[in-house]
Amino acid sequence: MADRREDRDAVLLAPIERTGPGFYWTVGALGLLILWGAIAYWTQLEGGLGVTGLHQPVSWGFYVTNFVFFIGISHAGTLISAILRLSKAEWRRPVTRMAEVITVMVLFIGAAQILVDLGRPDRIINIIRHGRYQSPLLWDATSISAYLTASLVYLYLPMIPDIAILRDRLEKRKLLYAVLALGWTGSPRQQHVLNRAIAVMAVLVIPIAVSVHSVVSFVFSMTLQPMWHSTIFGPYFVVGAIFSGIAALIVAMLVFRKAYGLEGYLRPVHFRYLGQLLLVMSLLWFYFTFAEYLTGYYGSEPEEMKVFRAKFSGRFWPFFWGMALSNFVIPVLCLVRLSRHTVGKVLTASLSVLVGMWLERFIIVVPTLSSPRLPFGEGLYWPTWVEWGETAGSFALFALFYLLFTKLFPIVSIWEIHEGRERGLQEVEARLLSYLPDLAETGLARPGQRG
Amino acid sequence: MPGQESGLTRTVRALQWAMAGLAVLFIGGIVTWIGHLIRTAWRLGDVPSASIGISLVAIPVFLTLLGVILYVVRGLLGDRSAR
Amino acid sequence: MPRWGMVIDLDRCTGCQACVMACKAENNVPAVGRREAARGRVISWMQVLTEEDEGHPGEVRRFLPRPCLMCDDPPCTKVCPVYATYLNPEGIVTQIYARCIGCRFCMAACPYNAKYFNWRAYQREGPDRNPDVSVRPKGVVEKCTFCHHRLQKARERARAERRDLGPGEYVPACAEACPARAIVFGDLADPGSEVARLARSPRAFRLLEALGTKPKVIYLTEGEGRG
Repeated sequence: MADRREDRDAVLLAPIERTGPGFYWTVGALGLLILWGAIAYWTQLEGGLGVTGLHQPVSWGFYVTNFVFFIGISHAGTLISAILRLSKAEWRRPVTRMAEVITVMVLFIGAAQILVDLGRPDRIINIIRHGRYQSPLLWDATSISAYLTASLVYLYLPMIPDIAILRDRLEKRKLLYAVLALGWTGSPRQQHVLNRAIAVMAVLVIPIAVSVHSVVSFVFSMTLQPMWHSTIFGPYFVVGAIFSGIAALIVAMLVFRKAYGLEGYLRPVHFRYLGQLLLVMSLLWFYFTFAEYLTGYYGSEPEEMKVFRAKFSGRFWPFFWGMALSNFVIPVLCLVRLSRHTVGKVLTASLSVLVGMWLERFIIVVPTLSSPRLPFGEGLYWPTWVEWGETAGSFALFALFYLLFTKLFPIVSIWEIHEGRERGLQEVEARLLSYLPDLAETGLARPGQRG
Repeated sequence: MPGQESGLTRTVRALQWAMAGLAVLFIGGIVTWIGHLIRTAWRLGDVPSASIGISLVAIPVFLTLLGVILYVVRGLLGDRSAR
Repeated sequence: MPRWGMVIDLDRCTGCQACVMACKAENNVPAVGRREAARGRVISWMQVLTEEDEGHPGEVRRFLPRPCLMCDDPPCTKVCPVYATYLNPEGIVTQIYARCIGCRFCMAACPYNAKYFNWRAYQREGPDRNPDVSVRPKGVVEKCTFCHHRLQKARERARAERRDLGPGEYVPACAEACPARAIVFGDLADPGSEVARLARSPRAFRLLEALGTKPKVIYLTEGEGRG
């Protein structure tokens, strides 16, 4: 009977069993972008950070923007997957693993951005030997390490039953799957252990995730610089991270839905729900942004206004208004009515949000540095091919890691789909009945009789 | 048959316990590192309160993670009843 | 324990930038070249900031020589992840080039933009360099050190001659070079020193004082309380 179950879901195992030409073309294309990034970084290692567009006063640019952006995307996974699990939302089943893989892969890429930004990456060991916990960068190091560990565990645990399926069904990579399956047989005791561990992780991972992007925001808000030194940064960044994370998740879902023929599993209803979540996050993001800028504008502190004006109407206006358009106008227009053309609208909104959130990070990092308090002269930041290459290479590397994962492990959780089919219906029915008043209490039926 | 384990199974088992060992080393390493940072800050008088405050949260979190990992490895691997 | 500080009299400053040149010569500050300068990468530990006078637009400029302000509550040392910059007991915010990982957090945090970065390998050892000051490699942050090496040399000479360090024996290059004697340097903790006396002057003000950085470079405003 187990065989029949897996045959129903054979499409989920197909990418692992077979590899088509599409995979090789994609890897080739990604490889070219990664090569560009590698050459860019090599150039930077040889020539120093001078090969970028950075200077005094704009000493942080694309790399720090990318760092914040990628770490932000990491909130997709674990937060969505954990929250949906804890709230017992049944529609999460095909989505959770895709989300969790995003988190793990993008955390590596995000952490790498800081390494790329260092003037002396050969001295990275100094952080370990001589770290100072007064510095927000150390808070970052600790928090991101915790998040990476927790996400890896939270990704791995629900994979174990699926790895056991691979161990039993496939001929190739038997040793890998056998080791990673941890002797899974599906016995009741093992299921109990696993479910308990997953439940603990789902709770634990949420405060860790919140701490990660709060701490990333503290890198800026703990300084005294105008429009950085703001108390709103912690929650603002977390909201922005969840926002961009959902958008990234939707894009990943749509890509693999098309590539692997998963239309049966990732249905319009999933995109409608995620689209609604994206809409809520867009409105929340707008609220935070509005509060932040209104406070600055109303106070009219001269040095803050210098930065504000640079963003609003000065040299950064295309990025600022582009951000507002991409993060608020387009998503709201696309997502208010999702009954028709769901997938198309949700995809448009998600791509728009990804662009907009990258612009938002840029708008936070650069204009403040570009307008120093003292009469230093404005800083004009023009990124060079090195920074563009590093950015492209980072995105491509993330995509490549993700793609390789889908070739080794099922991207949709097979055992959770089975669980949904076999137990989900009864559990939901029992829950629903527990919400409604008992028939005996309403007096509609005599005791002992059921309606 | 219980008691009879092939060479492959033994290799697999060894690798699995090695995974658990790696987790202990990794997280143990991080906890040791945090302790090192506290000690350094104390010695230099450089805001030791920051180090202590952060470690009060960070170390329990890491130890909990390690606990979950070891619980799962022991719970799944130690389960001979299914064999 | 002395607390080294500086008073700069803006009324005396003519904007000649002799302090800038003396500092560069003394501290092996590299000339980054025309192309790099155009890209905003000039390293100038002592920098003369200019401002148009509001009363006479385009005509009179104000000059503000800005070394490292040697804050007593430095925003830069708080954020350094590796102890590459710290406040030493005598009040000098020092820089450890061998420790710096080049994250540039201190540059982002300094409200005075007093920190500079070696975007390329601008500096080389050579016979034209001051042997008392280290040559910085690429990828590290540097800034004004109140010519700390001069303090060390003066102290060692005094110790060799079995006496205490006398007043005026330790002067940074900028204070020494200023032809208008606009820069006065000394021990702020010694109430009798000239720098401490000037710091108490009614004309004295601190740059960006409201931020609470407690800088030890104090400016004397021009004229009758202007500026």
